[in-house]
Order: sequence, then structure tokens, then C-alpha cells
Amino acid sequence: MATADLHTTAQLSQALKQELDKPRANLDQCKQYLTQLKINLAQLSLLDASSASSEALALARDVLEMGAYWSIRAGDISAFERYIAQLNPFYYDVSTTQLPSSPRRYPLIGLNLLRLLTQSRIADFHTALEMIDPTELRTNQYIQHPLQLEQSLMEGSYKKVWNSRAEVPAPEYTFFMDILTSTIRNEIASCIEKAYTALPAGNLATLLFFPKADDELLQFCRERSWRIDSASRKAYFGQSDATKEGLPVDQIITQSLTYAKELEKIV
Amino acid sequence: MSVEAVASAMEVEPTSPNVQMEEKRSRFETDLNRNITFLKKAVTSLETRYLHRVLRTIPSMRKRLDRSVLAKSIQLHFLPEFGDKEHLLKLLEESGVDMEVEQPLATSKGQQPVGEPEVSAYLCLLVMIYLLDSKQNAAGMALAESVSQRVVALNRRTLDPIAAKIFFYCARFYEVEGRLADIRASLMAHLRTATLRHDDELQATLLNLILRNLLHYNLYDQAQKLVSKATFPESASNSQMARYMYYQGRIKAIELDYSDAHTFLLQAQRKAPQTHATAGFHQAVQKLFVIVQLLMGEIPERSIFRQPVLRKALAPYLSITQAVRVGDLSKFQATLACHEGRFRADKTYTLILRLRHNVIKAGIRMISLSYLRIPLRDVCIKLHLDSEEDAEYIVSKAIRDGVIDATIDHERGFIQTKEVADVYATSEPQETFNQRIQFCLKLYNESVKALRFPLNAHKKDLESTNEALEREREIVNEFTRTEFKSDEESDLGEP
Repeated sequence: MATADLHTTAQLSQALKQELDKPRANLDQCKQYLTQLKINLAQLSLLDASSASSEALALARDVLEMGAYWSIRAGDISAFERYIAQLNPFYYDVSTTQLPSSPRRYPLIGLNLLRLLTQSRIADFHTALEMIDPTELRTNQYIQHPLQLEQSLMEGSYKKVWNSRAEVPAPEYTFFMDILTSTIRNEIASCIEKAYTALPAGNLATLLFFPKADDELLQFCRERSWRIDSASRKAYFGQSDATKEGLPVDQIITQSLTYAKELEKIV
Repeated sequence: MSVEAVASAMEVEPTSPNVQMEEKRSRFETDLNRNITFLKKAVTSLETRYLHRVLRTIPSMRKRLDRSVLAKSIQLHFLPEFGDKEHLLKLLEESGVDMEVEQPLATSKGQQPVGEPEVSAYLCLLVMIYLLDSKQNAAGMALAESVSQRVVALNRRTLDPIAAKIFFYCARFYEVEGRLADIRASLMAHLRTATLRHDDELQATLLNLILRNLLHYNLYDQAQKLVSKATFPESASNSQMARYMYYQGRIKAIELDYSDAHTFLLQAQRKAPQTHATAGFHQAVQKLFVIVQLLMGEIPERSIFRQPVLRKALAPYLSITQAVRVGDLSKFQATLACHEGRFRADKTYTLILRLRHNVIKAGIRMISLSYLRIPLRDVCIKLHLDSEEDAEYIVSKAIRDGVIDATIDHERGFIQTKEVADVYATSEPQETFNQRIQFCLKLYNESVKALRFPLNAHKKDLESTNEALEREREIVNEFTRTEFKSDEESDLGEP
């Protein structure tokens, strides 16, 4: 296909939609469709959401949205990030009269927020949050979920984070929730190290959300170099506060020299 | 006598508003004329000081703006190459009933207007302000567009400060009309030109306008990118600097960089002039500042909330602060719900939402200060937390983040607080001291840099020394001459 026209692109997009809607979609097939579709869109110069008819814009947006969903299924986070970046102009810059809002808009924005959380990009998370319409921010379940999650993470209610796995608003959210689980497990571990001197293995497992105190837990303890006493079945955490700080000599010298220099300037 | 008084009173009464108007008008006229003289002086002496002096009077002129005087002035001073004079006059006329100055207009028609483009630009600026005040936004927008184009095309350094003002009002028209997004591209283009021309005043103004524009639409991402790429001219005026600091503080606060936001907002407060006209700015800065301080874990001083200008505006923020200080989660939520609309309008709502965990932290700190040992369940009740399990996580996180120094005994389910360490044994006081010294030194250095010396003042001294030298030389000359003369005379007398 040398040059693309709107009609064939729309057909191709339909084919992709059908393939994606299948319960066991062929992801490689979808990828091929997507690549061809992106080439077509680029030839039609529809990728940048500048002036065009509303149908063409809707088509381009649908393709990108499907691409975003596909990348989550394929587990390709960087591809998802790219699709979201391309979708942003469609969501924020094109007026609603020209292009009616998509039903997949808020699920995708919510997914993007979740992605930022799993990557611990909290600053970007809040920047993205500012762009969302305030009423949607409060009422939309797709936005509420990552929002609640972030709050729980910040205050340390990890139990809530764990529980929210069960309350995902869309199946795609689980993908990121799984990544988030290992993140919070590490987070909890670093808290436990500081807060306890010793813990029974069973309690440790519940705190870290392991189903029971078995090899998985032992493996985790070894990674963090915690000592497990097999007799009492207790985990001991190495105390790190023994490090005695010496005088910060270099710092004091440089500071004093700067003072001397500055005073010299004044007098 | 009494009859006379009554008669004069009767005479005066109906005309008195007219007389007052007349007086006001004549005062405005003298001011306007004085400003025009200043503008001309600025051009001939190439001294921007006069320009700034003229522009400083804009707020007071704005209140007394008089159509007919302005029209007369336009007739006298407006340059034909600067645009359509008739169009400008028509703009003034449209809103008015009738022009009383029709007569002088006709007589001055024959006169060829002589003047500088600065004067014309200034007059256009006044017309724009007039249109803005009389809510003729569409006409004003068109005028602002054309004038700004022309000013940029003229490319005169003495026009720069006026150009900055013109752009400011141009953007203001768009904002009033709610079409801010439309002007962004053109502002960007002009910013590029201004940067290339080293037009500091315009550059600073445009940067601020673009930032305001972006923040209006909550485009923090783009604003952040702009700030990181563009350099703000250091020689910009303080008011622009203060604005820039405020916007930067805003961006940093959204990005969770609270310590930077704190510095920027503090500078914004200090740079802004402390007058009644800037009350709105101070309120906006303080609101954000209070929240940023709270987010950093500091409690703002009580005196801030007592200042007469700020007291009313900051009232909701005071109750938030109180809730955070005591660590009372339910009070915090109640305040948040009560003033939600207000916080949304101030665009601080999302920031305040982040405070929730600060409230919890403050609560935990209070508890650990008052109890040596406390069961987790009591902590849970005191902080109004949902579950004991979460309380355990929250406390352990607080321990890790260094909010409190304690250990948790899981089996017996309580928190044991450790002995309070002596802060003065650490390097903490030294660091704080260092921070303050640095600040003072920086302040001193900056004020030295900001000192302004009158231009060519040293020349006077030079002249007087030159004069002295000259005189000395003359005296020497005279002396040698007389000596020579006397020699000659003596020579003559000899034979």
C-alpha cells in the first residue's frame, strides 16, 4: 500500500478492533495491524491532532487508544507511555465540539496515573492530576482509584493499597497493580527494618503480604540480608544506627573559608 | 449680602459637578502633557528612567482617563505612520455621547503633528486601557493586536518598556474574553524576538504572560518545561521578577519540590512592593506559601494571619493550619469540606489534599511526645484511623521517615518511644546557622549590586579638575610671560 486513504485505514482499524475484542487475541497480529495503521495515520498527517475533520480525528484517536490497550496486554510499558503522550493532544487540545469525548478517555488517563505511581514518578503524577477536570477528579471511578491509592501510599496505609487490588475498576488495572505490589513490599520491608528489632516469621509474612511463611519469605529475607533464627522462628533485622558520625571536617573548612572571603569583601 | 449668597449658591449649585469635572479634566490634561514631555525627553536623552516614570503613573491616570482630552492629545501628537488616527478617534467617540472638543480639533487639523513614536504608542496604550475599562473588549483586542505588531516592527529601544505594557494589556483583553489559549502562540513568537533583541523588559513580561496563560489551563508540564529552558532576564523590573517567582513557586509546589517552592514564594513576597495596590498579589502568594510551609512540615507563624490585608483572605487557611498543627484528622476533613469551593478557586485544593498525611504525621508526633509507651489500638482511636493494621504500617513508615524515634513491639502491640536525642550534639544547629549566614551574605551582595550611580556623575569632577589644571596652566603661562616680558624690558632698558 503506497499511499493511505481514510477508508482503508478505517477498515484496518475495524479489523484491529475485532482482533482485540476476542478473549484470546493474537497480540502479534495486533502489532502488525497497529504498525500499518500508524504508518497510514502518519501519511494522512493525523497523528498530531491538528485541524482535520472530526471523523478523521476520531479514527486516529481510536487507533491510538487501542494501541494503548494493546501495549498493556503485551506488557510493554514504554509503548504505553508513547501512546498516552500521543493521545494527550486529542484529550486536552481538541475542543469537544470538534471531537466528542471518548468513553475510553478516563480509563486510559487513570491507567496512566497508575503507571506513574508504579514508576514512583510522583511529581509527574501530580502534574497529570492538575490537568483533569475537577468534577471528574471527584466523581470518576477510574480517576478515584489511583488517587486513593496515592494517598494511601503517602500516608503508609499499605493494607488499603493491598485491598484496592480487589477493587480495580477495569481489568487492565491489575497489570499495574501487580507491579505496585512488589514496590510496596520493598517499601514495607524498609519500614520494618527501622521499626522493629525482631518479628516472628508468621507475622512478618502477613505484614509483607506473603500467603504463608514459606520459601518465598525466606528468599525475600535473604535478599534483604535479614537473619532468621530457626529455633524461635523469628527474624532479626540488623541495627544500622551503630554508625557514629565523625565531624564533617571538609564541610566546616570550606564554610569558614567562604565566610572569610565574603567578610573580606565587605570590610 | 444674604440675598447675594443665596443667589450665588443657586448659581453655583447646578454647575458644581461640571466645574469639578472640568477641574478633573484639566488636571488630567496637565498630567498627560507632562507625561508626553517626559516621553520626548526620554527619547532625546536615551534615558529609560523617564519612561518608567511615565509608566508608573498609569494606575492613577487610569482612574481619571478622559476621552476628550485624550482625543485632543491624539490630534496633536499622533504620528500618521503609526496607524489610522481617525480609527483611534472613532474608537473613543463610539462610546461617548458627543465630543465637546470638536472645535479645537478642527483648528489643530492644519498643524503637522511632530513627535516620537513613543508618544503615539503611549497614547494607544491609554486608549486600550480606556477600552478595557469601558468593556469594549473586541475593539480593544483588535487595536492591541495592531499596535503590538507595529511596536515590534519599529524595533526601538526606547519603546521597549511601553511595548511590554502594550503586550500586557493585549493578553489581558484575551483573558477577559476567555480566549487565552488563542494568544499563546503569538506570545511565544514575540518572546523569541524579544530574547534575540535583548529586550529585557518585554522578555520578562512575555515570559510571565505565557506562564500565566499555561497555569490558567493547569498545563504545569509545559510551564515547567518553559521555565527550565528559558532564562529570565536579571535586569527585569521587580514587579515582573515577583510574578515570575510566584509562578515558579506554584510549579515547584505542584511537582512536590516544596523547599524550592518555599524559596521562590519567599522571594516573591519580598520583591513585590508593599502597597495597597499589591494586596491581591500578596494574598495569592501567602495562600500558597502557607500550604507549602505545611507540606514541608512547618507551621506558619500566627502573625501572618493577623495582618489586616491578609486576615480575611487567609481565614480558611488558618483553620487548615490549626487542624494540621493539632493533628486532628476529622477537623481537617471538616474544614476541607467546608471551604472546598474557595480552595478550588484558589487552585490550592489538590495541594491541600496532599496535606492529609502531614496531619497524620503531626498526630503521631504529638502522641510520641506525650507517651513513652502506647498500644497501637489507642493510636488508631486517637488518629481516627480505619484499622489497626494500617496504624501499624503508618507508624512504621513514620519511624522510617524520621518523624518519630521509636520501636514497635508487635507481639505485645505497643509503640515504645526512644529517649529524645540531643539536637545540639548533631551538626543540625551548624547547618541552620550556615543557612542564615549564607542568606545574609547574599542579601548584602545583591544590594551592593543593586546600587545605582548617576550616569556621568564622575564627569563633573573631571571637569572641575580639568578646569583647575587649565587655570594652573594659565597662571604658569602668565607668569612665564610676565617674566619674559620683564626680561625683555630689562633687556630693552639696558642699551
